[in-house]
Amino acid sequence: MGNLSRRAVIRASVQLAAAGALSRPYIANAANTTASAWWVQGFAQEEDVAFRQVVEDYQKASGNTIDYSIIPYAPERQKIVSAITSGDVPDLFTANPAEIVALYAWQGKLVDVGDVVETQKSQFSETALLSAQCYNSVTKRRGTYGVPFTGAVLPIHVWKSLVEKAGYKIEDIPKTWDPCWDFFKDVQKKLRAQGARNVYGQGLQVTANGVDPNNTFHYFLIAYGGQDIVTKDGLLHVDDPKVRAAVIKALTYPTTSLKQGFVPPSAVNWNDADDNNAFHSKLIVMDLDGTISTEVAIIKDQEDYNDIVTMGLPLSNEGQPVPSQLTVVNALIPVGAKNVAVAKDFLKYFIQPKVNNEWLKVGLGRNIPVMPQIVKDDPWWFADPHRKAYTTQGVIGSTVPAYWAFNPAYSQVQTEHVWSTAWNDILNNGMTADAAADKAFARIKEIFAKYPIVQS
Amino acid sequence: MSSTSVLEFAPSAIRQRITTWRHLRGGLKGSEYAWAIAFLVPYVGVFLAFVVYPAVYGLWMGSEASLYSELFSDPIYQSTVVNTVLFLGIAVNLKMFCALLLSGFFMRRGWWVKALLMIYVLPWAVPALPTFISIHWMLNGEWGLINNAIYQIFHIDGPAWLDSRWFALGSAIYSHIWKWMPFWTVILLAGRMAIPQDLYDAAKVDGATGWRQFVHINLPLIANLYLICTLLSTIFSLGDFNSVFFVTGGGPANSTHVLATLGIRDAFDLAQPRLGVAAVMSALPLVIPLVIILMRKLKTAEVQL
Repeated sequence: MGNLSRRAVIRASVQLAAAGALSRPYIANAANTTASAWWVQGFAQEEDVAFRQVVEDYQKASGNTIDYSIIPYAPERQKIVSAITSGDVPDLFTANPAEIVALYAWQGKLVDVGDVVETQKSQFSETALLSAQCYNSVTKRRGTYGVPFTGAVLPIHVWKSLVEKAGYKIEDIPKTWDPCWDFFKDVQKKLRAQGARNVYGQGLQVTANGVDPNNTFHYFLIAYGGQDIVTKDGLLHVDDPKVRAAVIKALTYPTTSLKQGFVPPSAVNWNDADDNNAFHSKLIVMDLDGTISTEVAIIKDQEDYNDIVTMGLPLSNEGQPVPSQLTVVNALIPVGAKNVAVAKDFLKYFIQPKVNNEWLKVGLGRNIPVMPQIVKDDPWWFADPHRKAYTTQGVIGSTVPAYWAFNPAYSQVQTEHVWSTAWNDILNNGMTADAAADKAFARIKEIFAKYPIVQS
Repeated sequence: MSSTSVLEFAPSAIRQRITTWRHLRGGLKGSEYAWAIAFLVPYVGVFLAFVVYPAVYGLWMGSEASLYSELFSDPIYQSTVVNTVLFLGIAVNLKMFCALLLSGFFMRRGWWVKALLMIYVLPWAVPALPTFISIHWMLNGEWGLINNAIYQIFHIDGPAWLDSRWFALGSAIYSHIWKWMPFWTVILLAGRMAIPQDLYDAAKVDGATGWRQFVHINLPLIANLYLICTLLSTIFSLGDFNSVFFVTGGGPANSTHVLATLGIRDAFDLAQPRLGVAAVMSALPLVIPLVIILMRKLKTAEVQL
């Protein structure tokens, strides 16, 4: 070991620091053409392959580099929260879950991407545009804080063989809301009468995990006429008698079904995948669940794939079409991103209808476009019976945005699972639907009080 | 000329200063000290970056008083505290007591006991996540392995394990015990094996066998180890996220959260990291006394006979 003096250590440290400082401009120059991206992992591997292809094509076309990470759903969410909290953010990421666009826009933590959306504004559906325009409490006005690139609605998935085994045909399914759901109760009764032990008519997600129970509640709420619980101006209307009545019905129907034994008891604690597992194991005859991942997951088993019938929503009890709440997924650029220009440039490329369409198609159509013209120009979207039903419901049919787009308070309502708690109060705490609704309303009002929106 | 000789001729005040300086340097001289610093710097850097900084950052994040008033008014937090106390009280004590008994069993001679021990430690050896997810599926009320087995054998429907608070919490406690009891059994087994055979032989001469040997030899000699293991296990179990999250998911309706899972829920599901940190920090009044007791116990130098 040679002699190492204190001076030598200090001298070496200074030289190292100087070398680092001198090389920084070159690193910075490289960064000028590089944007970092966090992308949520697809349900099917093909979705990730498709994203890599988009990046590769963009890099060739632009000369820029997208330094991307494809991350599973839950870890990506945790990384996003950590990044926003610490300020050490990537240049762009997918909104995960979708409602964080509203939350972070409110906090002034997102870059306005109106110029990106403007490039395809005429292509986007109104629901998509509304889902990207969120309120910023710092600037006290709405802005475009997300770049919509896909969406999802909840179709109904039905085992045709189970319906037929019960002595019915798919055409027998009633066209209006309550009769449609009640039909599956009859199917269950018939199947049980034939000796089937563990089969349930309805797959209703009355759990407090993930996004599914929120979606389920909102679909029932809208069908029962409570669509205006939050309006475009961000105001809450739980005191509106029509909304209140719809909420009580949306709390009552699923819980009554479960109490009557038409929904698997374990549905109170299902996670995101459990309803899919229950459906695939034919524990439930039908499932109301987002996207056609239920079908795509078993596409290699053509017999089962073709045995599933994918349906849009029935009409309301009054015979009116029920709009589907479309969850629009946005790409976001956080404040503090080092290379906003490249991030925006990449997103402008990504939302070109041709590029976006190819990306969605490689993902087997699990997610639908938020640009209606895409499906009008490409018959692929109607070439498969599942995709056709899903596209018709979510792109061609009537859709409404998620409520968080109107007021970020609703993000918290969803993440806290206020409605699931109300279901649980009815199921396990002996509350009436009225009392559970009142308790939920009180909590929702508390949350909304934290997010005042200045009306222009 | 060596530094020792310099000291011999230096005035006493300077000599004293040099001696003190050298003492502060741990007796190291010249470049030895520089090398020591050079080797120490990476460790200190890592320690500051990955231990001190996160701890201080966490304390800072959870330092607002308003977070705690928000937390304490949350009914989910209140039930979580009850769950955490039950989880620790039942899971840790049952696990440690059973581990104590089983460590006695595994002291027996015979190849089959060793073979059984090998099988017994498997739950601890296998990765936690897949096993807890498997347990979650096995406990499914409708299509899970356990209820199907109950139906096949007894022709009755088994309980809905994960659909009510107490069954679900019990399932999480069971999973924790199943996972960690082998580890503590092996630790206590090692403690028993360290007891000199002479003591048992002497006890036999005095006519003490079985239960009396356990009470008068085993128990006093491993009492300190048992207590330290119990304290350690309590601290570890307080941070046990997996047994609850992957078995019950904190459900139904957030009724089976413990502080570790609630912290993650608040931080990431609700996107309120400060609230999540506050939830975890609220365990400090329990953790700090435990750590102090543990440190005091670890200072014990003599065997407590």
